[in-house]
Amino acid sequence: MIAFGFRNALRSTPRLALVAALIGAPFFLLLTLQAIGRAVDVYADRLLQGVNDTLQLRAAGSMGHVNMVAQSDILPQRVLERVRQLPHVAKVEPYVLAMTPTEGHNFAMIVGLEPGDARRLESHGEAGSPRIIAGRDLVDSDRGKRVAVIGQGVARWARIDPRDLAGAELTLDLRRTHPVIFALERPPARLSVVGVYASGYVFGDMQLFVPLDTFREIYGVAQGVSWLFVKADSAASVPLLAGRLRAEFGSEADVIAPVSAAEFQTTTARTVRRLTAAGMAASALLLVVVVYFLMLLLVRQRAREIGTLKAIGAPERSIIGAFLAEALAYALAGGALGSLLSLALGAPAAQKLFGPAMGPFVPAQYKDTLLQVLAISSGIDAERIAVAAASVALAALAGSAYAMLRIIRLTPLEAMKHE
Amino acid sequence: MNSDSPLVALGAVSKIYRKPGAEVRALDGVDLRVARTGMAAIVGPSGSGKSSLLHIVGAMDRPSSGAVTVAGQPLDAVPERALAAFRLRTIGFVFQGFNLIPNLSALENVTLPMEFAGVAAGERRERASALLARVGLEKRLGHRPAELSGGEQQRVAIARALANDPPLVLADEPTGNLDSATGEMIYGLLGELARERTVLVATHAEPLARMADRLLHIRDGRLIDDAK
Repeated sequence: MIAFGFRNALRSTPRLALVAALIGAPFFLLLTLQAIGRAVDVYADRLLQGVNDTLQLRAAGSMGHVNMVAQSDILPQRVLERVRQLPHVAKVEPYVLAMTPTEGHNFAMIVGLEPGDARRLESHGEAGSPRIIAGRDLVDSDRGKRVAVIGQGVARWARIDPRDLAGAELTLDLRRTHPVIFALERPPARLSVVGVYASGYVFGDMQLFVPLDTFREIYGVAQGVSWLFVKADSAASVPLLAGRLRAEFGSEADVIAPVSAAEFQTTTARTVRRLTAAGMAASALLLVVVVYFLMLLLVRQRAREIGTLKAIGAPERSIIGAFLAEALAYALAGGALGSLLSLALGAPAAQKLFGPAMGPFVPAQYKDTLLQVLAISSGIDAERIAVAAASVALAALAGSAYAMLRIIRLTPLEAMKHE
Repeated sequence: MNSDSPLVALGAVSKIYRKPGAEVRALDGVDLRVARTGMAAIVGPSGSGKSSLLHIVGAMDRPSSGAVTVAGQPLDAVPERALAAFRLRTIGFVFQGFNLIPNLSALENVTLPMEFAGVAAGERRERASALLARVGLEKRLGHRPAELSGGEQQRVAIARALANDPPLVLADEPTGNLDSATGEMIYGLLGELARERTVLVATHAEPLARMADRLLHIRDGRLIDDAK
């Protein structure tokens, strides 16, 4: 009779399709929200990665941008050499920074860094969060070359289409000024754009990364560093290392912990995560309710059939087994349909869903940009899908069993008249 | 069990349906004994208690009072769950509305009671095919009820009723949903069955009643005439 139940589910294609669609739709919604949640988790993890164990050094009282009014002091080269020798230092990443005016009162940041080092955003200290959305990152062979990876905000300003980077160029005019930028009497620099990144927020997208050597050549900064990111050998060593850095360079450098700078974005990511979790809970509830009542309906609709089976002598356990097997078959069909839809359409659906669902709850500067930094994939997390599928199966069994138990205890005659 | 003893014995059986503010006495002190073979037709106006009597004999419903013994088994002593096994081996039902399982083929509908009885797959297929051939449906084995005419569906139902070779076949208005020509065919089949087992049929159809070995007239839940 178990086989009879499974076969029964397969006999009417329109019914199977309808039930699978009714179960598959909330299942798909659940998986889509799961995909957003997973992407947010990855993003938040990446954001904090290399932040908790990192300290930043700047010239005392200066932002360290080589052409910024009253903020152009940079750290001498010997600081870099000395920091490298300190205990508990795992890695040192030097940045040299400048600014260039863009539209109106806006400006972009130019960052010179060693290819392979983490691309950090100027406004926040987080590491590795800007995601390449077109082209490629800087590589070793780019050293000394006039190449740049730019934020998508810079790309818009420079009218560069990220989908077509072949021959894309951008010119930096070092003589242009701004209320906070002074002119440098140096020739303009033409850069080939090899990659475009998305940061997750508007200001973070207004940055250019160029190889450190290239920066020095363009801006004529042969020595010294604007910022120094000092990575400790562990998060536990950070206080010790911070004390040592302050003791050694306290008079000429400010020692900053970027973890607090990253907090704003991680808080936003957490908000999105909570919204996603709430959405998942709601869709899981919807799924369970839909499946439960669907099975209730499917069984009650067939009370006459149950009565007939009882009349011709079917044992109760056989009838219950058959209907539960049928419920399970429907649940599996719905789950499979939802999973297939998720594999095929999960990522685009998540992108469509993200704006209307999350937009009202995140700060304005993240509203249109956070989605771009999330690597939402259509892949299915096996563990979570197993939990979702088990929930669907349990709801199906519960709904079916509840209706069955109400009908099965009737006499055959009562069951046949039940509908 | 003595072969001379009746297959069905009812003693002072009453069935009362209670509704808010009303009490319907569907059967009122019915005494009845039915022999081991032959056809007994229960006739009477609508609502007289014909179907109620069949349902109680077939263990589809329990009497409000009185004793029912079928094939030597006193039914009041049998718990509800065990009644399924009793129906499976002792009773074959033929309903007015056919009551076939819509998603199953004719062959599968007939094999179903045998599956419940634990008959091996090969044997039940063989027996079901033979039963369907007996009712003239050997070429319709794979058809589902929706693909069969009313008469064909009722013949499948008769084959299903015979699946476990029960001593008693109960037919409740078996031709009620059929045209007269198709009805004639069903009468013939039931008459044939009555030569080898007991057929108890509730009917309005005069030709079927005339075929019966025994005519039981029922009115207001009472047996008022028992003509042989």
